[in-house]
Amino acid sequence: MAEASILEVRDLHTQFRTLDGIVRAVDGVSFHVARGETLGIVGESGCGKSVTAMSILRLIPPETGRIASGSIKFEGEELTTLSEEEMKRLRGHRISMIFQEPMTSLNPVLTVGTQIAENVVRHLNVPWSAARDRAREMLDLVRIADARRRLDEYPHQLSGGMRQRVMIAMALSCDPQVLIADEPTTALDVTIQAQILDLMIELKEKTGTAIVLITHDLGVVAETTERVVVMYAGRKVEEASVEALFAEPLHPYTRGLMRAIPRLDVEADAAGTRPRLQEIPGLVPILTKPIVGCAFAPRCGFATDRCRSEAPPLVEGGAGHTVACWEVERVRASA
Amino acid sequence: MAVVADDLDLPATRRFSLWTAVRRNPTIAFGAVLLAALIVMAVFAPFIAPNDPLKLSPVNRLRPPSERWWFGTDQFGRDIFSRTIYGARVSLIVGLSVAAFSSVLGLALGLACGYFRKVDGIVMRIMDGLMAIPSILLAIALITLSRPGLGIVIVAIVIPEVPRIVRVVRAVVLSIRAQPYIESAIAGGTKNMKLLWRHVLPNTLAPLIVQSTYVCASAMLIEAGLSFLGAGVPPEIPSWGNIIAQGRTYFQIAPWTILIPGAFLAVTVLAVNLLGDGLRDRLDPRLARRL
Amino acid sequence: MTSYIVRRLFATLPVMAVVALFVFFLLRFAPGDPAAIIAGDDATAESIAAVRAKLGLDRPMVEQFVVWVGQLLQGDMGVSIFSNLAVTRLIAQRLEPTVALTLSTLFVAVVLAVPIGVVAAWKARKLVDRLAMAFAVLGFAMPTFVLAYILIYFFAVQWQLLPVQGYAPIKQGFWPFVESLILPSVALGITYMALIARITRASMLEVLAQDYIRTANSKGLATDRVLLLHALKNAAVPIVTVIGIGIALLISGVVITETVFNIPGLGRLTVDAVLKRDYPVVQGLILVFAGAKVLVNLIIDISYAFLDPRIRY
Repeated sequence: MAEASILEVRDLHTQFRTLDGIVRAVDGVSFHVARGETLGIVGESGCGKSVTAMSILRLIPPETGRIASGSIKFEGEELTTLSEEEMKRLRGHRISMIFQEPMTSLNPVLTVGTQIAENVVRHLNVPWSAARDRAREMLDLVRIADARRRLDEYPHQLSGGMRQRVMIAMALSCDPQVLIADEPTTALDVTIQAQILDLMIELKEKTGTAIVLITHDLGVVAETTERVVVMYAGRKVEEASVEALFAEPLHPYTRGLMRAIPRLDVEADAAGTRPRLQEIPGLVPILTKPIVGCAFAPRCGFATDRCRSEAPPLVEGGAGHTVACWEVERVRASA
Repeated sequence: MAVVADDLDLPATRRFSLWTAVRRNPTIAFGAVLLAALIVMAVFAPFIAPNDPLKLSPVNRLRPPSERWWFGTDQFGRDIFSRTIYGARVSLIVGLSVAAFSSVLGLALGLACGYFRKVDGIVMRIMDGLMAIPSILLAIALITLSRPGLGIVIVAIVIPEVPRIVRVVRAVVLSIRAQPYIESAIAGGTKNMKLLWRHVLPNTLAPLIVQSTYVCASAMLIEAGLSFLGAGVPPEIPSWGNIIAQGRTYFQIAPWTILIPGAFLAVTVLAVNLLGDGLRDRLDPRLARRL
Repeated sequence: MTSYIVRRLFATLPVMAVVALFVFFLLRFAPGDPAAIIAGDDATAESIAAVRAKLGLDRPMVEQFVVWVGQLLQGDMGVSIFSNLAVTRLIAQRLEPTVALTLSTLFVAVVLAVPIGVVAAWKARKLVDRLAMAFAVLGFAMPTFVLAYILIYFFAVQWQLLPVQGYAPIKQGFWPFVESLILPSVALGITYMALIARITRASMLEVLAQDYIRTANSKGLATDRVLLLHALKNAAVPIVTVIGIGIALLISGVVITETVFNIPGLGRLTVDAVLKRDYPVVQGLILVFAGAKVLVNLIIDISYAFLDPRIRY
């Protein structure tokens, strides 16, 4: 498995200094991404999934945060110890990233063409004219009509969906091995969401770029990814193939997330009402204090004294399905 | 934003301590202490000054700073130390009264502009016109119309400074009027005056105080500039601008006649500006982010 | 674009009209008899009457105003009471030093202050930033003429690197011209620099926190490209606005700086005219300075279109 993986994150700890103390935003997360694979990272907002992404590219603002420990290996090369200059040559070239807010993620005073082409010029050492050709090619690839004219337009002249296409074009312009997409469709209309996701999958097939898709939306995960990591309070609580996860979620938190998705396949009862969506009771824990035991225990219906005192290790539940839960047998039985 | 959170504490639950207040607002504290010291110096000038600031002593002309004359003497043998201490009076009187008068005038005009469309058009055109004229030029022009004196200097500085206050107050009033709670109060039939008194005035206070400290600093600089040009307070009054103007000719052999009152002026303006910056950060975080 | 410029030009008319009205009534509504003030303390009744007739003050107010505006529109600002020269000619003679001083100050201030502000924002809360902001706070409190004398004392008197005073017109050679402008420009520009550095830092700080800067960093762009293209171009509108506002500061400062450095420009002309109560000249100068300021504001407004593609006319 290790030799096939292009990105390997091991025991990552990322922390922020705040007025209330140190926030352990990512608290010992490990996962790997295989070549050409689509990995989903799921969790509620504040669970550390975006910080994990920013840590991989080492974009954590040094004034407030740092990678405290752990290892991030890209093609066998350790990223945490690279110089900033070496990191810069990697970003946007071999690992690139797209963000949640297409409305604000593009620079409003530079043309779309400039923003795509500058990436190509920076990393591929080609003249501007060639980079512009490449930019036009990329716009064609992400199916923006009339690419030649669009190159000279500014972001405010494009719709939200088009801007996200531009972001994708920009991110893929140097043929990266890994594309990290942080909530790429959350800010878009539902119909546009599907188009963008389809486009990303299609391009992945074409280019062989591995995708790390970060989202809070299990629906998006089900449609697009092959393997899923579920995060809670800065830790990984479950990992499985998409099929296995949806067939039998093993962590009470994952089950809670699934119950919070509206379902159309459940029959309405005689009165015409469907079962109410269930929210997970309680709040995400405060990350400034070290968490004793399982982070989810205070919100968990299965929790025992052991859960509250001792952190559960990740254990193999069969067929690459791992879970961090002491009461996994009871959870399994309750289904 | 932590500052805002502090404001939400109820005074009863907060144990007041001068030291924490100073630690939280070092800029305000520093500016205030400096300014207080200067005010004390100005008020008690007759007790502090070792010599009569006006007394000529031709034998002792252009003496460099020494134990006898701390800051030296000018070309008439007058004691620069004593003159500088008295000079603080002019700067402070001008600064504070210009700040007070232009605040009152600016507040009244600003409220009127924000409230009454008809007034707004006319007054704002006049304000735009006044602002188009560089302030020192406007002040000089006004001063030349009358016999020189402290009063006319104050008036001449108030006029170019008023538009700055009017604009700030008007902007606040307009933004408050657009708030939903005010619109509903108007719809509910609350009287104009009551609305003004209850909601608008208190909200204009913070930006007004901040702006008036800047006006105070600017007024001191303009007064010194006017006196320096010979168009300010009458030359027989020892103001810092006058001391500097009178030292010009002998500057190369007696630089202290200019540098010492100049330093006092700079420190005074600095104190007022620091006070203004501190108040701005504390009272008007929105403005603080913009500057 | 052209129609926008024309519209903005028309919008300056009311402002200039207010200035003209003010300038006109400045003399007419002055407390006391302006003719007597102009004629001086030991004037006779005849000399006062002569001054009054010369200024047209003996005719009805409306007539005076119409005549005055009519002349103004033809480029006639009247005649100096003392030298009997046309005010426009006096102003034209003194224009070069003032324009040279203003432009060189503008240049020095922008070239120094913008980079200071950018670096301060980039290294926010670090030592460089603290030093830059301390400089800005001090610079903002420093009276122009005090700094001017300090500079003269060190650079001209002690070290004798630069001339103490005076102005060398550009036709006397480029270097003497530049030499004569260095100290006045720095003295005049310090407050202006402080202002620009502060706003640049504030504006940059706001922009550096934006999502598109994160995008630029995620592309691995070089720091200078992120700072100077991606960030500074977005931060430019407030900076340019302050550069424009600061022109007023410069014009006020010119009057003082020219006096300190004995530069025969419009500032000196103003002070001389004021001290001699040469009203036609004062009126003309106020109109010229106000016109310059209005013109600068117009240029600033138009420049926004080039800085921010979202602004449409």
